[in-house]
Amino acid sequence: MGLSDYLSKLAPELILLVGGCAVLLIGVTRSARPTSIASFASLIVVFLALIATFSAGAPDATASLPGLLFTSLVYYTRLSALGVGLLILLVNWYQAVGEERGEYMAMVLFSLLGILLTASANDLLVLFFAIELVSVPTYVLIGLSRPEHRAPEAAVKYFFLGAMAAALLAYGLSFLYGVAGTTTMHQVVDGVIRSNFVFGSSMGIYAVIGLLFVFAGLAFKVAAVPFHVYAPDVYEGAASPVTGLLGFVPKLAGFVALVKVFGMLSWELPLAIQWLVWIVAAATMTVGNVLALLQQNAKRILAYSSIAHTGYMLIALLVGPVAGGGPMHDGVAALLFYVTVYGAMNLGAFALLAAFSVRGKPAETLSDLAGLGKQAPLAALAFAICVFSLMGFPPTAGFLGKVYIFSSAFSLDSAHSFHGPLVVLAVIGVVNSAIGAAYYLRLVAAVYISRDEQEVVPTGGTPVRLGLALCSIAMLFFFVWPSGLVDRAQANADVVLHGQRVATVVTTASSAGPRPSDGTGAVVFLADSDVRSASDSRDE
Amino acid sequence: MSIETLKLCAILIALAPLGGAILVGALGRPALRGRSHWLSILGVAVAFVCSLIVFGVVRGAHGEQTSAMISVYDWIASGSGSWFKVEFLIDPLAAIMLVTVTGISLLVVIYSRDYMRDHGEPVRGYERFFAYLALFVFSMCMLVQGGNFLLLYLGWEAVGLCSYLLIGFYYQRPAAAAAAKKAFIVNRVGDFGFGLGILLIYITFRTLDYGRVFQMVEAGVTASGDPLETGRLTAISLLLLCGACGKSAQLPLHVWLPDAMEGPSPVSALIHAATMVTAGVYMVARCGVMFTGSPTAMAVVAVLGAVTALFAATIAVTQTDMKRILAYSTISQLGYMFLGLGVYAAGSAIFHLFTHAFFKALLFLAAGSVMHAMGGIIDIRRFSGLRKILPWTFFTFVLGAIALAGVPLTSGFFSKDEIIHHAFTHHWALGLIGLLTAVLTAFYTFRMVFVAFFGTERVPEGVHPHESGRWMLVPLFLLGIGAVFAGYFGFPGHNFQHFLEPVFHDTFVARSPVPHGAEPAGFWAQYGLMFVSGALALLAILVAYALYVRQPWIPDTIRSSAGRLYTTLLHKYYADEAYDASVVKPLRTGGKVCVGLDDYVVDGLIFVVTAIPRGLAYVLRVLQQGAIQSYAMAMAIGFAVIMWVVLLSTGGCG
Repeated sequence: MGLSDYLSKLAPELILLVGGCAVLLIGVTRSARPTSIASFASLIVVFLALIATFSAGAPDATASLPGLLFTSLVYYTRLSALGVGLLILLVNWYQAVGEERGEYMAMVLFSLLGILLTASANDLLVLFFAIELVSVPTYVLIGLSRPEHRAPEAAVKYFFLGAMAAALLAYGLSFLYGVAGTTTMHQVVDGVIRSNFVFGSSMGIYAVIGLLFVFAGLAFKVAAVPFHVYAPDVYEGAASPVTGLLGFVPKLAGFVALVKVFGMLSWELPLAIQWLVWIVAAATMTVGNVLALLQQNAKRILAYSSIAHTGYMLIALLVGPVAGGGPMHDGVAALLFYVTVYGAMNLGAFALLAAFSVRGKPAETLSDLAGLGKQAPLAALAFAICVFSLMGFPPTAGFLGKVYIFSSAFSLDSAHSFHGPLVVLAVIGVVNSAIGAAYYLRLVAAVYISRDEQEVVPTGGTPVRLGLALCSIAMLFFFVWPSGLVDRAQANADVVLHGQRVATVVTTASSAGPRPSDGTGAVVFLADSDVRSASDSRDE
Repeated sequence: MSIETLKLCAILIALAPLGGAILVGALGRPALRGRSHWLSILGVAVAFVCSLIVFGVVRGAHGEQTSAMISVYDWIASGSGSWFKVEFLIDPLAAIMLVTVTGISLLVVIYSRDYMRDHGEPVRGYERFFAYLALFVFSMCMLVQGGNFLLLYLGWEAVGLCSYLLIGFYYQRPAAAAAAKKAFIVNRVGDFGFGLGILLIYITFRTLDYGRVFQMVEAGVTASGDPLETGRLTAISLLLLCGACGKSAQLPLHVWLPDAMEGPSPVSALIHAATMVTAGVYMVARCGVMFTGSPTAMAVVAVLGAVTALFAATIAVTQTDMKRILAYSTISQLGYMFLGLGVYAAGSAIFHLFTHAFFKALLFLAAGSVMHAMGGIIDIRRFSGLRKILPWTFFTFVLGAIALAGVPLTSGFFSKDEIIHHAFTHHWALGLIGLLTAVLTAFYTFRMVFVAFFGTERVPEGVHPHESGRWMLVPLFLLGIGAVFAGYFGFPGHNFQHFLEPVFHDTFVARSPVPHGAEPAGFWAQYGLMFVSGALALLAILVAYALYVRQPWIPDTIRSSAGRLYTTLLHKYYADEAYDASVVKPLRTGGKVCVGLDDYVVDGLIFVVTAIPRGLAYVLRVLQQGAIQSYAMAMAIGFAVIMWVVLLSTGGCG
């Protein structure tokens, strides 16, 4: 494996790594007052990484390096993370108000690098480290984001709880290793299946426990109930631009990891895990939306909305991929599309908060937003577009995202044992997005029709406004031309189903072949386990 | 000309006005200020040129090749590999509509350049107006050339939105705001039916593609291969018609159009001639396969059209507001078009749409010119004898008026006569209503002309009338030429109808109970009606002349002696009052009840429900001094519960 091999396959990651280090050095050479050099440099780094991604194109799923495997999921994740990453950098342009801008920007780049590595990890250890590479810089980002005591407080909270989640994740992975006897992901699946992913048998229960812990650890990253408790406090404590980042970076990494873990098992999940995800999804949506209704602080509203959106995405995760079904019938495509769109629209909403200040403080509460509609009509319009997109209102990409997610819930064969529960879940989702409309409309109303107007002072600067504008334009653009994103997201269904298998199919004549394209693959397995548990109960 | 050229043109027709709208909207205020009109004019002009090219291509095509489905890109996946596409259907019908829409719109936009100088709001009115105007044109073009029902619906709604924005252009004026809301809400009522119709189409045929839907209707099958029942076809047609009633202001959803004149005059011209009200007519013509498949639906269309035509014409006779008279005349003329569609004469209906676009745009723009000169006053009782003061406006207005009145050899005469002719061959009553409406039309049109432009010279106090500038007069002249001569596209020789023949051949023409061209061939049988209606129109004009110029006291006498009838007409058959009593008031009351419920019941419930977590939080706060521990505890407990449930359900911790 020569150097050129690494260079060609890992180009975006290497660019981020080297660029991140370089930006860190810029930070060391402190000037008297903060400049935008570091911001500009990191923008260029991400841009170069994006170009490298495009020029490399979609990998063919057979390319691998030790511990890494390059599927089209990697390609999509790179595009998504770097694309939204550009917007994140714009919105964070003036972040780290003090002298630490170089360090700050470097941390953003490292966090993005972590997402990219998560997508290409083919080893449980690499996966764990990649996830932590995403998380650790975010603790720093929160702490640096503003001088007030609230930011370090939020950082510490996030750090301790994050450490707990990391422990859960590591513990779960160790169980999987114990069952499979290997950390290489595609061999784990063979190990698990061979040693029996047949639950009820003595080894199977450890695989379930392992999966459970892994799910819990990752559920923290995506802020799913009951691992959501940190979100409102942390979101409120951090400066708005960082909060916008927090809505996307850990979520994308967490969901990519979940897709990888579930995909590792070809989505042949035990029924109990399916029900677990079901319950968590329903609870996450409901808790997020209901609690958001009670908030007065715009950041807390958006924090709870972020929890609710995790719930929607979990629906799609539960559905999983259905090869050849089209995005309306493909959970993974819907999920990947949605998480990207969510990243941009959520960022846009926070960008507005970052761009204006009221009475010398950054805008935070609903009453702070009063009068924006008159004083900054364009920014208010962009904000409204992003919020309508969060609400799932046409003509925005958020609308299509919801359509894809909810319609994917109907894609399992009606004979499938989980068809009914999924439909119920979709209905819960639709009801929830109706509830959500109430507080999103309050946000828009605060901007446009509030009575006692505040004097809002634009403090964000041009890059922040540009980021806000681009977020809202992206929402409209991907409504008009969703296939630009969906096609790439959809390519993953086949990869998740076949890609990793294709790479290893020679090594084992696995008992369960690639999931059939009609979406009934899980039936085989589930029926199997149902039978097994039925026979178990008979034994008792 | 290749299909590629056609594709490029179709895309440009949509994108040029949209681009203009976006640029004006985004750059207008800081960068363009008073020059915003250029971008809009440019956008619409490009669309017009492209429309002409499209028209040329379609005209040059022969035989089967007159229609082309141009697929641009896949838009939204509709499951199992099929997509809702962004695609354009270019055929003779679309070509004619495009040329009409973009041509009239171009003249209106040019006219607006001067008009809006004086009538724009002081703040940002000018840019806003031109951005909306271009967006309106874009919406209508999408509606007309969209290749499936989804795009049709999209254009349909976008047109509704633009009309709302433009009618409410002077949003500080309560009347304008109310009119905008009225237009939008009344249209929503129609669109609800329209949306249901489209859903029913999708449920029945599992696709929204024009081509595939129409094919299946023609073959009489549904998506599953079952035979298509006529009842379902009727249901679809009537639901679609519901939408057409809203957009094209047919009974009983006509109430929004007269109020729509609260918008600036060019907007009225646009709505009445090119971009909005014609949508319903176009849609019925486009979906001819469905409508003609159901005799019931066709009968409804015909009767609806005839009744609306007469109904609106009678109201127009008593109105005194120039633009309001014109609005009712539009409703009446649209009634003609629906009558034409209903009696299987779609070619004639579209022909009337085409000619009507010219003279109605002309009349509204000329009325705008009068309003411009009169300082915003448009009530014909407030001025008279304007013929001397505004000679050019007068001249062009009369050109429009003779076309609307159906004076022989003008465009309106030919197109209207054809519809009446077909109505007679279908049913004598329909024909008679058509004829009666024609007489009334000629009368009220010239009542307006005589009262406003003849008699003693009189203008409202404090107004210094002046003739409009070049930017306004040139479009008026061009439209005047169109109003007088546009009829010769269709007469003699029926070139216009022959051009449309490929579209309507299998539907309106073939399925007509009275075969086209089978009527008696004698000269009088063919042209007799023409002489009758021409003579009647002239007679009505003479009566108007006698009443309003020679013996002005007669109308007053009639007014006082007619009493009840007069007030009924003056109040437009109390349609607004009826809606107010039957819909608006009950809804208001319902709304108040809901607010009450929300304030007391829902809020109370929420308070009670949220008291639980609040109380819990209070307890927790007492127990836990640091937040992190409690969070960690919550996570741990949550996880323990999950663990317990999952392990229990997988069969014990063995």
